[in-house]
Amino acid sequence: MIRIENLAGGYKNTPIIEDLHLEIENGEFFALLGPNGSGKTTLFKLITGQLPIQEGRIFLSGKEISLLSKLEKAKKVSVLTQEVHASFDYTVEEIISLGRYPYQKGIMKQLSKADREVIEDVMERTKISKYRNTQFRMISGGEKQRVLLAKAMAQEPEILLLDEPTNHLDIKHTFHLLDLLKEQQQKNGLTIFAILHDLNLASLYANRIGLLDKGRLLEVGDVDTLRKEEQLKQVYEVQVKTQAHPAVSNPQILMTPQHAANEKPIDLVKSYKLVKNKNYIHIQFDQPMRTISNGVIGEGIQWLKHFCNFHVDKHYNCSDPKRDLQERMDSYQIPHEQAVGMMTAVNLEDKVIETQEIEGIQMMVIVTAGVGNAVDIASEYTPNSASQIGTINTMVFIDAHFTDGALVNGYMSATEAKVKALQDLDIRDPQSNTIATGTSTDALLLALTQRGSVTQYAGSGTVAGKGIGQLVYQTTHKAVKKYLKRVQNNGIY
Amino acid sequence: MQSSSIRKYLTNKIVWMYVLSGGIVLGTTLLGLLESSVAIPIPTILHIVSENAFNIGWLNDIPKNEEMIIWNIRLPRVLLALCVGSSLALAGAAFQGLLRNPLADPYTIGVSSGAALGAVFVLFFQVTIVGLGSFTLPVVAIISGFITLFIVFGLVRLSSRNLAIETIILAGIIVGAFIGSVTSLIISLGDRDSMTQIIYWLYGSVAMRGWEHVQLILPFMLVGAFMLLIHYRELNALALGEEAADHIGVNVKRGKIFILLGASLLTGASVAVSGSIGFVGLVIPHLVRLVTGPNHRHLLPLSMLVGGAFLIAADLVARTIIAPSELPIGVITGLIGAPVFALLLIRERIGRRGYLND
Repeated sequence: MIRIENLAGGYKNTPIIEDLHLEIENGEFFALLGPNGSGKTTLFKLITGQLPIQEGRIFLSGKEISLLSKLEKAKKVSVLTQEVHASFDYTVEEIISLGRYPYQKGIMKQLSKADREVIEDVMERTKISKYRNTQFRMISGGEKQRVLLAKAMAQEPEILLLDEPTNHLDIKHTFHLLDLLKEQQQKNGLTIFAILHDLNLASLYANRIGLLDKGRLLEVGDVDTLRKEEQLKQVYEVQVKTQAHPAVSNPQILMTPQHAANEKPIDLVKSYKLVKNKNYIHIQFDQPMRTISNGVIGEGIQWLKHFCNFHVDKHYNCSDPKRDLQERMDSYQIPHEQAVGMMTAVNLEDKVIETQEIEGIQMMVIVTAGVGNAVDIASEYTPNSASQIGTINTMVFIDAHFTDGALVNGYMSATEAKVKALQDLDIRDPQSNTIATGTSTDALLLALTQRGSVTQYAGSGTVAGKGIGQLVYQTTHKAVKKYLKRVQNNGIY
Repeated sequence: MQSSSIRKYLTNKIVWMYVLSGGIVLGTTLLGLLESSVAIPIPTILHIVSENAFNIGWLNDIPKNEEMIIWNIRLPRVLLALCVGSSLALAGAAFQGLLRNPLADPYTIGVSSGAALGAVFVLFFQVTIVGLGSFTLPVVAIISGFITLFIVFGLVRLSSRNLAIETIILAGIIVGAFIGSVTSLIISLGDRDSMTQIIYWLYGSVAMRGWEHVQLILPFMLVGAFMLLIHYRELNALALGEEAADHIGVNVKRGKIFILLGASLLTGASVAVSGSIGFVGLVIPHLVRLVTGPNHRHLLPLSMLVGGAFLIAADLVARTIIAPSELPIGVITGLIGAPVFALLLIRERIGRRGYLND
């Protein structure tokens, strides 16, 4: 479709683009990425002919571009740039009809019937028919871009060049415009060659990307090329981290600002407030903690400040426990979007709080335990209407800096310690009568201050992992014993 | 379909605009022929015109002096006003389209003063270029107008990258002031009599002109108008800027040169026969645009018609308002044009502030 061979060009004596090879397939959405001054716009200007090609060649469907006349080129390539201002009060339809310029024939060069049909069609496709008689100057920025896109499409191009078309648009219009473009690409086979500033947008919409740096293409590939953090860091000179998008498989890139490194982290021992009564336990930190949890609220890996464990009735049966917990938090003025929420039927008086410093790492563990629903994870599954009190809720607070991998590691360590505690207390699965590994609804969270040097592993082979293991074991052991004692005293709970 | 009915309505509206403008031109022409110190009845006027133009007459015994007045004095004067008015309005519309700004006009961007300098030079020193004869005057005026245009644009280019209209007008004023001084210098070299004459000429007037002046402007007007009218699509394409025009396949450089040349031809020839008459090119395209919209396909021809009619009317006012003596026509157009210019400037600034805050 478009083939660029050994291209060099730019301004007068200093070629900005050097030795560039690129091939863009028919019907693909190709995003050109790169920092300011890397030559993205220059490359476009070499394609449109606004700047002279000094070396190499560009082919459009096999034809060399420098041999095409201006009108021929306008029938093959159209351009959508950042917002342009129109002079005078042209209507939307008049602006779009400019796109038919290269097709008009004859002396008077009026719009033919075929031209009108194309204009109708592109207005329909870009959903701007209702603005046709509105003045272009009067419509909003997002609508203007749609009109200019319609104009570009009226040229019936083989390839559409986009030069940061969403630069000044808000999120809504950015996504609407890109959705529209993607639709044209997927349904009508339009080839799109786009300069995009936003790496994440490029990842979401492009089929392939090219990374341009100092006039040279560093790499061309599918969007997973964006997972190469080191390369991006080198090109953009910003701390980047590739993350998973929660809904689609395309990578998303997160940037870390300079000042984040200098922020004063929190002191585990001094910076929390603890509220405990028969209804709930609430620990609140001054600053957000890096948290991994499977709580009803606040699941996954997040930055959170509030950690809660609510007491519920042992026959608690709610179709929407998440909503129920949110409402409970609202009633205690705890912001639920910044919280982890767990629930238990265990008497909250039996909680165990242990604080300890292991190998210079401050830790605190809070456990509420009930083992009425104790389950051996390895035994055969039997559906069980859990009306027993049976949940071990564990909160682990650590004054250390964990990577995401270390968080998962630490999570394993804490789980292993809990299993060991149950084993040592000979807690059995009532169904299989084997030693239980936990209960059917256990919850666990690890919250880190992210202070100090970065810890990459927190398994049993590390100091941090050992520390988590020891403290979780002790605390769980005590908590389960408290529960067993209460059961003994009260008979069946 | 709704859209086609709207289009039909628009087409009809445009047709009516042409009919109306044509009617106004005919009406003002007749009025221009009729209204004067010597009263001549309309049938006689029509007879004289048709008799002389097409050799078809129906009246006998027309007094020789009446025929003289109508055919040799009033008609050339009215036709000259028509030509100058339509030339200036068309040039103004073209400059505005090219510079993407309604404030542009041959007068405000300095082309008129450049052409005037050339004309004064020819008139004062009685220069004749061999082979051109009486056409020396318009040719020199056109060339000096064109050169002035390039000096103005050069100044703008040096001071700022983009062709901002305020800078162009400022540069136009600077160059205009300089040229004005040179013109004054030339004039003051002469005797008192020719000085008054030339100063009066500079104000702009179509008085005391004969058929030879109509002949002087006509060829340039036709060529200039043709050059501009065939470039209406390029003027439309410039609505989104030169880069966007380039992207839809417009040869911007060639188009610009043609449009500037055409507009300079019209301006130079007009100044050569009538002195510098200001603001016609500013006011008329603006008024037409208000009614028909900015599409140059209709804006250009309609501006010609309305501009012509306007100048005939202005001339009529100029020679009747303090009769028996006459005002220079430039005074009338200036009195009307300058306030409109101020209004446009304010509107334009407000408009721009509007979309900056957008």
